[in-house]
Parts: sequence; C-alpha cells; structure tokens
Amino acid sequence: MIPLTNYLIVAAALFSLGVIGLFLNRKNVITILMCIELMLLAVNINFVAFSHYLNDLGGQIFVFFVLTVAASEVAVGLAILVAFYRTRRSIEVEDINTLQG
Amino acid sequence: MANVTFPFPFPEHLLALLPEMIVAVLAMALLLLDLFVPKEKKRMTAYMAALTMMAAGAATLFVMTPETQVAFYGFFVLDHFAVFAKLLICIATLLGIVLSIDYMKDEENIGEYYVLMLFSALGMMLMVSANNFIIMYLGLELMALSTYVLVGYQRDVLRSSEAALKYFILGALSSGMLLYGVTFFYGVSGSFHFVAIAQGIAEAGSSAGTAVLLGLVFVLAGLAFKVSMAPFHMWTPDTYEGAPTPITAFMSVAPKVAGFVIFMRILVDALPGLQHEYTTILIVMAVITMAVGNLAAIAQRNIKRMLAYSTIGHVGFVMLGLIAANADGYAGILVYLSVYLFMNMGVFAIIILMRREGIQGELLDDFAGLSRVRPGYALAMGLFLFSLGGIPFLAGFWAKYVVFIAAIEAGHLYLVLYALLFSAVGAFYYIRVVKYIYFDEERVAFNFVENRMMQATVVVSAIAVVALGIYPDPLIDLCQKALGGLI
Repeated sequence: MIPLTNYLIVAAALFSLGVIGLFLNRKNVITILMCIELMLLAVNINFVAFSHYLNDLGGQIFVFFVLTVAASEVAVGLAILVAFYRTRRSIEVEDINTLQG
Repeated sequence: MANVTFPFPFPEHLLALLPEMIVAVLAMALLLLDLFVPKEKKRMTAYMAALTMMAAGAATLFVMTPETQVAFYGFFVLDHFAVFAKLLICIATLLGIVLSIDYMKDEENIGEYYVLMLFSALGMMLMVSANNFIIMYLGLELMALSTYVLVGYQRDVLRSSEAALKYFILGALSSGMLLYGVTFFYGVSGSFHFVAIAQGIAEAGSSAGTAVLLGLVFVLAGLAFKVSMAPFHMWTPDTYEGAPTPITAFMSVAPKVAGFVIFMRILVDALPGLQHEYTTILIVMAVITMAVGNLAAIAQRNIKRMLAYSTIGHVGFVMLGLIAANADGYAGILVYLSVYLFMNMGVFAIIILMRREGIQGELLDDFAGLSRVRPGYALAMGLFLFSLGGIPFLAGFWAKYVVFIAAIEAGHLYLVLYALLFSAVGAFYYIRVVKYIYFDEERVAFNFVENRMMQATVVVSAIAVVALGIYPDPLIDLCQKALGGLI
C-alpha cells in the first residue's frame, strides 16, 4: 500500500507548481487560471488522501464542494477575462497595467 | 463527525436560518422579477433589494434567542456574535445599495447588480455563522465570486475589468491557500468542525507539529488576503480604484466585517492551542500592515486609492485586537468594525455625490474649495476624515482607544506605541484632504448629484460618528454582550 506521505508529497509538489506558476508566469492570463486549478487539485488530493487514511468520508465530501466551487470560479474568471479582452484587446499579463501607483 | 445522531427534528432548527433563507429566496425571486421591470423603472429592483436587506436584518433580530442555536448538525451556529455581525452586514449592504441607485443608473442590465449584492451579503451571513470549514468556505466563495463580478460590472471601463481580473486572480489564490491549510487541520483532527479541530490538535500534541503549523500558516495567509493584511494586500488599492465607487464602499466594509468575524471564530474555536504561534505571526503582519497602509496612503492623489491604503492601515489597528486575544480585544474589533462602517460609508457617499462625468470627483484636487460651494458636505467630510484619523471625541477615536487598551492589557505596550506613531501618520493624510476642502481655491466647477437617499446616508453616518464620539458606551457594551457567544 502506498503510504500517506507519498500522496502528500505529490500534492505539495502540485500546489507549489501552481503557486510558482502563478507568480513566475509573465505571459498569459489563461495560464494563471490553470495554475489556480492546479492548486485546487492539490487540495483535493490532500483531502482524499487524508480521508482514506483516516477512514472518514468528510474529506471526500469537501472535495465535491471544492470541485463545484472551482468550476464556478473558473466560469466567473473567464467571464471577467472576456470583458477585459474586449476593452484591452490583449490578455498578456504585462498588459494588465492601467491601475498603478 | 462520526458520532452525530440523526433523529432530532430538522425543521425546528431551520428557523435559525430564516435571515439567510429570506435573502436567498428573495434574491432569486428578484432575478426573475427584474425581467418584467421596464428599463426606465429599474430603480424598483434596487428598492426591492434594499427591502430584502431590511427584512433580513429584522429576521436576524427575530430569530435571536438568549442561548446559542445550532442548526444542520452543528454546521451552522447562531449566537449573539453572529447576530451582531449579520446586522452590520445588513446595514452595510443596505447602504451599498442606496449608494448605487444613482451611480449605476446608466448601466445595462442593472437588475443583476443588486441581485449579486444580495448574494454577496448571503455569503457573508453564512460565513459569520459558520461553525465548520465547509460552510465557511462556501460562504466565503459565494461572497467572493459575487464581489468579483460586481467589481468588474462596468464592462466598458477598462479599469473596472482590470480591477476585477486582479481581484479574481489574487482572491482565487487566497482561497486555494486557505483550503490547503484546511486539509492539514483535517488530516490532524479528522473533522471540519472548529471545536473538533481544536480537540484534534490538542490530542495530537507535538507529534503533528509540522502539519499543524503548515495548516496554521496557510489558513492565516488565506484569511489575511480576504481582510487585506500586508503582505497580502496587493490587490486592495487596484481593486478599490477600479471598482464602481459604491462597490468600493461596500467591499471596504462588509467583507471586512465578515472576514474579521470568521477570523476571530477560527482563532478562538479552532486554534486555541496555537495562540503563541499565531500571535507571533500576527504581530509581524500587523507591524508591516500599519506601516504599508499609512505610509503608502500619503503618496496617493486619487482618493479611492488613498482610502484603500487607509483601509489597510485600519486593518493593522484592528489586528491589535486579534493579537490581544482577550475579551476586550475581540469586543474592540466589533466596536472598530461598526464605527468604521459609518465613517467609510459616509466618505464614499460624499465621493459619489461629487461624481461628475466619468471618473471625476476622485482626485484629491477635485475637493479643493468644497467648503465654499457646499458647506454641509464639507463639514460632513471633515467629520468623517477626522474620525478616520482618530481625532479625539469622534467615533474613530474610541474605536482605536478600545483596541489599543486591550492590546496594552495583553502586554503589547511597544506594539501599541508603534500603532500610535502610525495613527499620527494617518491623521496627516486625512487632514490634508480637509485642507484641500477648506483652504484651497476651487479648480473645477462642481456638479453635484442631487439624491435625497444618498444625502440621508451622509447625514445618518455623520450623526452616528458624532453621537458615538460623544457617548460610545452603549456601543461598547453591546459589543461586549455580543461576544457572549464566542467566549
């Protein structure tokens, strides 16, 4: 049987990839959305791993909520992105620069 | 929880959710009804939304009982603490709606705007009643998702969509961090209930030290984002500046109330065993927050941006209550939040009343000479700014006083001296605006919006600021009573 630690390491790696990607990415906002998704998936792996390890269903139930909310979050995010694109004609990260100071 | 017994009667406990149900049902009904409201009568939607918030506030008082009510198998708790927070949220949303009516009247599909405000309020009301990380997360996301859309509501205005985009990215990051922290608490305790987590952490002892610490750091970071504590404040100035002004007013108050209330509940109920650790982290963040907020505000020329940094500064002061971690500190936070509601809503009401074509009425220069044209507005603005700056015998002074005293009681004298230093810095940039209003020549012709309800908001806020400044005891008593549910 695969020990709990291995799952946690995978999740931690995924989560770090998400966070690093979010901050290092200088190109495209879509990538940022993918990084956010990656972070939430890491959370889900953690929940399922703990849930299995503790023999408690609560964690898996939370995963359903996280999945649902993540879907609506991405819907809202893409809608905002479309609105931004319509006025700015670009979704490059470096073009998000009107508000500064 | 594994040992939950199911047979107790369900409907009885549902009554505790009456305010939330009212908001949820009426918001959805309003979404449908709005389709039948003709375009030139969209004000009706706003009035109905305002009535919904009033009904929710009344229902909150109606369902309040002396003892704490628990519903949905311990997921939802209604104590005086939650009731107080819900009333603040209802008032803030109501004022936000009132401020929006004139400002947003030229927008397309304005009906949905008010419905989104109601949903955001619903999320906050669920959040302050959460007794469990699941409900807390759902409430938080309902609040956040609605607010992202509201910030970007002026779709043709670049800075509105840009503000929404920035807010969305950092907000999603912060919920991700919060959740990642929650996973570790779950791993240690096997539950999402705050009290069960506290037990789990106590039982695990030092064997789970790393996991608990990881959980604490990520949960604190996630919550700190929501209430804009430095170093997690980056979204605040941009979002405040770009958002439609009524939404800036709304989100500078209501989500802060919800955020700090759930912050207190989590620290007290779920993490009492980690007080030493979280106090250390909070002290470091409070030191940075006060400095960043108050120093950066000096450099701002746009009043919305200045008020964003001022919010950060005030969050730093409110954090003293969390650091004190005693009954006085928590009561002080409630006092601070209630007073801040009126000060900030008043300031933003005047900014909106001064709206000229496009974005005007937002630069500090636009306030030059206000006292000669509208002495009433100038006086009210002066009162709010002095109160925000903590000048004695206005409400803002007592808010700071209560929190500072609580922090001294808890033995954080040096931190309070540091805070005093920065509240003096804060007073400088508030008084600078008063200087523009009273001593500078008019530069651009004023063109005021005449709206009785917004003027009423200004008057009510001004009366509250003065009355609470002269006689703050009832509010302080009320806040101490409201804590009964928490401690």
